[in-house]
Amino acid sequence: MAFNMSAPTHSLIFRYFRMTTDTPPPSETAPEPGMIKADLLAGLFFILLGLAIFYGAWTMDRLEVRRIHPMTVPGLVPGMLAMALTLCGTILSFRSLRTPASGGWQQLSGAVLSSAAARAATVMLLALIYTLGLVGTLPFWAATGLFVFTFIMVFECWLSEPRKPWRKSLLWASGLAVVTATVVTLVFERAFLVRLP
Amino acid sequence: MFDGLLMLGGGLAHFFTPVSLFNIAWATLLGIVIGALPGLTATMGVALLVTLTYKMAPDQAILCLMCLYCGAIYGGSRTAILLSIPGTPASAATTLDGHPLALQGKAGTAMGLATTSSTLGTIVGIIALALIAPLLAEAALKFGTYEFFWLALFGVIISGQLTAIDDPLKGYIAGILGLLVAMVGMETLHAHQRFTFGISSLGGGVDLIPAMVGAFGFAEILGVMKRTAQARIISSGDRVIPRFSEVFQYKWTTIRSGLIGTFVGIVPGVGEDVGAWASYAAAKRVSKEKHMFGKGSQEGLIAAETGNSAVIPGAMIPTLTLALPGSAAAAVLIAAMFIHGIRPGPLLMTENPEFLYQIVAILLFSTIAMLIFGLTLTRPLLTVLQVPRERLMAVVYVLCVVGSFAITQRMFDVYVMVAFGIIGFILREMKYPMAPLVLGIILGDLLDLNLRRGLLLTNGDPSPFFTRPISAVICIIIILTILMSIPAVSKRVRSIFTRDRGDASAQG
Repeated sequence: MAFNMSAPTHSLIFRYFRMTTDTPPPSETAPEPGMIKADLLAGLFFILLGLAIFYGAWTMDRLEVRRIHPMTVPGLVPGMLAMALTLCGTILSFRSLRTPASGGWQQLSGAVLSSAAARAATVMLLALIYTLGLVGTLPFWAATGLFVFTFIMVFECWLSEPRKPWRKSLLWASGLAVVTATVVTLVFERAFLVRLP
Repeated sequence: MFDGLLMLGGGLAHFFTPVSLFNIAWATLLGIVIGALPGLTATMGVALLVTLTYKMAPDQAILCLMCLYCGAIYGGSRTAILLSIPGTPASAATTLDGHPLALQGKAGTAMGLATTSSTLGTIVGIIALALIAPLLAEAALKFGTYEFFWLALFGVIISGQLTAIDDPLKGYIAGILGLLVAMVGMETLHAHQRFTFGISSLGGGVDLIPAMVGAFGFAEILGVMKRTAQARIISSGDRVIPRFSEVFQYKWTTIRSGLIGTFVGIVPGVGEDVGAWASYAAAKRVSKEKHMFGKGSQEGLIAAETGNSAVIPGAMIPTLTLALPGSAAAAVLIAAMFIHGIRPGPLLMTENPEFLYQIVAILLFSTIAMLIFGLTLTRPLLTVLQVPRERLMAVVYVLCVVGSFAITQRMFDVYVMVAFGIIGFILREMKYPMAPLVLGIILGDLLDLNLRRGLLLTNGDPSPFFTRPISAVICIIIILTILMSIPAVSKRVRSIFTRDRGDASAQG
């Protein structure tokens, strides 16, 4: 199952299901300063989002022309959820402000500018170019082949540590690109009768 | 009673055909491979396979999806033992004792025990499913609009609480975001378009499958590719098939873990990972060899693997009887069932009673397949683990794109997938759980419709939501759950209990 289980979650689940004192309580991991600052930004974002949705729900058509009951207007639930989101965002921001987090901003900016983040950003960039740019412009098989080839080359010969020999990667990248493009196109177009973009 | 047994026999006979057996074999094997590959999870596998099973007959499609689900949850244990990386989050607890066993040269024993424990865990869950589901379905017939509103809210809140125990607030936020996503599109009471901003594709709302492929597929790819470290495979040539005494020795751990797993499965939106951790913690608490836990305890490994596998049949109980997904993968299964014209919910046992027993039969068959593959295909599965992620993830992304496009054949769904992937990745990085978000998307409509329909029935009077007995009980549970997640309140409650126990022991 694909639920995220972080190390602190694990320790806390231990705590949660611990009924007796014979299991030593695992040390509670304090949240990192960077995360506390990230929570502040996220909290402010949720407040803004909540208020925007509340405005949208409040100004939503109340269908008075159709004489519906005022307690069943379409904006009722979105409005309530928006209030709940704003409340949660406020609690998150306040909690973040009250928790000491020295060096939090540096740690957060460090995480955003780290090589790990750069790798994730590269995947996003490649995926976006493929999905928004190539698919629909080029035939599907060509777009797919190009994407698979570039992805493997970028991550094996440029962004990996240690870098792999480019000749071997080139061989693998071209082989997989051709196979993926052919198999996916044939399977979906012939077997499942999907008109690929 | 006999009706149930007869229908179970019918279910088993229904799938005892060459085509079905072939489907069981490949789907379970594919599931094991998906589970074993780090970065490919059960939910992602099930979501992607929905596309491939679209043209199949409904029973065969559900058969393939369920087999893949069971196989993937089991397959994750292989990676946990040999690489110390959970193949799926469900096997995170397995790494604690599985990998130390492999380091001691007992990789074969660990893999064998993981296989038998998964099998036994599923069987405990299956028995519970066959016994509890018909009763719950009958009880659910008494549920009305008011109860379903509270149930939907309860599902999102309990999922938010339990999947993010270290920070329930983030679980709740994820749940609210999911519910808000469900608000987009045509609402069902007055057929009014909400938050569509003039985009016609948003009229039908956000489809669950592309959203799931994004949140569990693309987000996972981003998470996997972010890491640079590669793990080393530790394997050994000792015997894989465990001795009967090794399995029988821990019979109580198996039964306990199976029951805990099943219970966790019944709780909406709380999945295999929590099932594994909960049974692991319980086993550690009562074990005679506590000190061995985390250092290669066979009991710990058995508890974790039995716990996570028992969640699958457990999760099917609310999924089939209330249409409340018991886990994230079960949410995809609900979407797949609707695509194939099967309506899970309280009426299932009246409209289509044999379907429940077909699910029981599917789980039994897939368990047998899992046992056979798990104990025999040790070497080939080792090869699977050596596939470099750079090559794998490129292909997986292509499948995410095609998978989200193929069902309705519109590019809009691919954009939804990309958006959910990126948002899901950012939320995961900030430790927001994905399960409540998904549960919110699937339960949003139920919550909205039942609240407003209830108010319409009473002409605006909300009192039945609080005065009907079942409603009142669920409402109180929700309030208590939220109160207990507030640190100040839970600390005070805890201190009262500790004081009481302290007094009692002083008096004794």
